[in-house]
Amino acid sequence: MASIRFVLKRIALLVPVLFGVATVVFAILHLAPGDPARVIAGQRASAEQLEQVRRELGLHRPLWIQYLSFLGDAAQFDFGQSYSISRGAPVRSVLLDRLPVTLELAILGQLAGIFLGLPLGILSAIRQDSLTDHVTRIGALTGISVPIFWSGPLLILAFATYLDWFPTSGRIDSTLFLPDSWHLLGRELPLTGLVTVDSLLLGNWTAFTSAVHHLFLPALVIGIYSTALISRMMRSSMLEVVRQDYMRTARAKGQGARITVLKHGFRNALIPVVTIIGIQFGTLLGGAVLTETVFGINGMGLTIVTAIGALDYPVVQGTVLTFALLFTLVNLVVDITYGYLDPRIQQ
Amino acid sequence: MSTETRRRGAVDRLRASPFLSKLLSNRLALVGLTIILGMLAIALYARITLDPQALASSRLGTAVPDRAPPGWTGTGPADQYLFGTDSAARDIYERCLYGAWLALQFGTITVGTSTVVGVGLGIVAAYYGDVTDNVVMRTMDVLLAFPPLLLALALVAIFPRELGLWRAVAALTLVYTPRFARVIRGAALTVLEDEYVDATVALGATDPRVLVRHVLPNTLAPITVQSTLNFGLAIIDLAALSFLGFGAQAGTPSWGLMLSRGVDNGLLTGRWWLSFFPGLFLAVTVLGFNLLGDGMRDALDPRMREAID
Repeated sequence: MASIRFVLKRIALLVPVLFGVATVVFAILHLAPGDPARVIAGQRASAEQLEQVRRELGLHRPLWIQYLSFLGDAAQFDFGQSYSISRGAPVRSVLLDRLPVTLELAILGQLAGIFLGLPLGILSAIRQDSLTDHVTRIGALTGISVPIFWSGPLLILAFATYLDWFPTSGRIDSTLFLPDSWHLLGRELPLTGLVTVDSLLLGNWTAFTSAVHHLFLPALVIGIYSTALISRMMRSSMLEVVRQDYMRTARAKGQGARITVLKHGFRNALIPVVTIIGIQFGTLLGGAVLTETVFGINGMGLTIVTAIGALDYPVVQGTVLTFALLFTLVNLVVDITYGYLDPRIQQ
Repeated sequence: MSTETRRRGAVDRLRASPFLSKLLSNRLALVGLTIILGMLAIALYARITLDPQALASSRLGTAVPDRAPPGWTGTGPADQYLFGTDSAARDIYERCLYGAWLALQFGTITVGTSTVVGVGLGIVAAYYGDVTDNVVMRTMDVLLAFPPLLLALALVAIFPRELGLWRAVAALTLVYTPRFARVIRGAALTVLEDEYVDATVALGATDPRVLVRHVLPNTLAPITVQSTLNFGLAIIDLAALSFLGFGAQAGTPSWGLMLSRGVDNGLLTGRWWLSFFPGLFLAVTVLGFNLLGDGMRDALDPRMREAID
C-alpha cells in the first residue's frame, strides 16, 4: 500500500535528524563552562574527590567514547542520574514524571486554539472585509503579539489576586493526591499523568473540578495565542480556496453556500493549516515553558529552567532531547495527515 | 551611464514599485510603521537623556539591586511617578523608556546577524548545490528540529553569565539563522533558474559577482519580509530569556527582567503596575513589527496581488 510506504519513508527520514539533534545536545553541554564533577562533589571537594567523581561519571574517557556511549544511552532514553535538582534520581524518571504535566498544558491550549481558531478563521474569510473580519484579524494579530509572560501575570492579577475566582498557581489542590494506577474490570492499569484525565478515570469528581479550576488560566493563556495563530492561518488559507474554480462549479451545480464552504472549502483549506499547527507546536512548547514558570506548575519547562541554573547537565540534555523528539514526532504526524488530506503529496 | 541617471532610475523604479505603493496603501501596515518609529524615538530619547547606571541601582541603598528591604512594597502610579515605582523604589516609567532602547538595540543585532549569516548560507547552498547544499541545509534542518525557545535555553548554557543580554543574543542568533537560510535558499533557487544568470556566467562573471550582483538583489524582498516578521519574535524571545533569568543581568531595565520581577514581587500582593507597564511596551512594539510585516507580506505575495487586481 502506497500510504504505508509513505509513512515508513517519513520515519526513515527522521533518523538522521534525530542523530543530529542528539549530537548538537552532546556538543552544547560539553562546550558549557562549569565542571560537572564540582557540581556533584561540591565547592570544597579535594582534587582526589573530584577525580573520583569524574571516574564514576566516565568523564575521564576520551571524548569520542563519551559521545558514542551518550548516543547509545540516549537511544534507550537513558540520560544517567540527575546531578543536583533531583540528586541521584534517574533522569528518565524525572522526565516521565514531568512530561505529562507539560503535555496536558500544551494539548489543552492547542485544543482551545483548534476549536476557537478554525471557526473564527472561516467566519473571517467568508465575510471578508466585514466588521467581523476586521475584529477577528486585529484581535488575532494582537493575540500573537502579546507575550505569554505578560498575559499570564495580568490574568492572575485580575482573576486570581483581585477577583479570587481561580487559584494563582499549581495544577491541582495541594491536599489532593491521585494514586498511581486505576482499576478497570478488575485489572490494574497505569494512569496517564494528565490530571484532568486521571481524575475522570478514577471517578474522583473533586479532583477533576480542582484540576479544571487550576488549569483554566494557564490553558487560557496558551489557548489565546494558539487561537490567534490558527484563525489567521485558516483565514488566509480559506480566502485562497474560495477563489478556486471547483468552488464556483459546486455553487453552479446548485449546491448551497454552507455545504460548499464546509465540504469543498474547509477540507482543502485545512491542508496548509495542519502544517502550520505542526510547525507552531514548537512555539507552543516554548509557551508551555513560560506558562509553567508564571503559574508555578512543575512540568518539563520549570524543570529545564531550574536545571540550567543548577548546572544539572543530564537533566538539561534529557529535557531538551525529549522536547525535540516530541516536536519531531508531532511534525511526523502532521506530515502523515498532510499526505492523507492531499494524496498528491505521497507521490 | 552616469551615477546621476542611475540614481534617478532607482528612484523611478521605487516609485513605480507595486510593492511600495501597495504597502503604503495598507492602513494597518502604516499603523505598524508609526508604532515602530514612535518606539525608535522613545529609545533614542531614553538613550540620550537617561543614565542606565542610575536606572539599574537600587534607590533604597540595598546591595542587591532587585531585592527590597523588608517592609518596602513600592508605590502605585501617582503624580510624581506616572507608572509607579518598583521594589527598589526605581521609577518604572523611566525604566520602561530605557527598555525600548535595549529591546530595539539587541533585537536589531539578533535579527541583523542572523539575516546576514542566513542569507550567506542560503545563497551559497542554492548556488553550489550538491554536497554544499546538503551539508548546509541538513545542519539547518537539525537546528529547526528543536522547539525554538528550548534550543535557545540549551545554547544559553554555553555562554558565561557575565555576558548578560549578549548571551541571549548569541543563542537566539543561532536559533534564527536557519529560518533565513531556508527562505533565502528557496528564493535564490528560483532566481538561479532565470536565463540572465546563465548569460552572466557565460560572459565570464565570477561566482561572487553573480551572487552579490545578481542573485542577492533579487532576493531582497523576501529577506526584508522575513526580517520584519522575525523582529517581533526576536524581541519577545529576548525578553523571554531575560524573564527566565538567562538574559539581562539583575538590575538592567529590560522589559523581560522587569516582568520577571513583577511576577516575583507583584502577583500575590496585587501590585499590577510592576507587570502591566513593561509588558504593555513589549506587546505594543511587537504588534508594530507584526502589523508592518503582515502588510509587507501581503504586498509581496503575487497571488494576493492578482486576486485584488
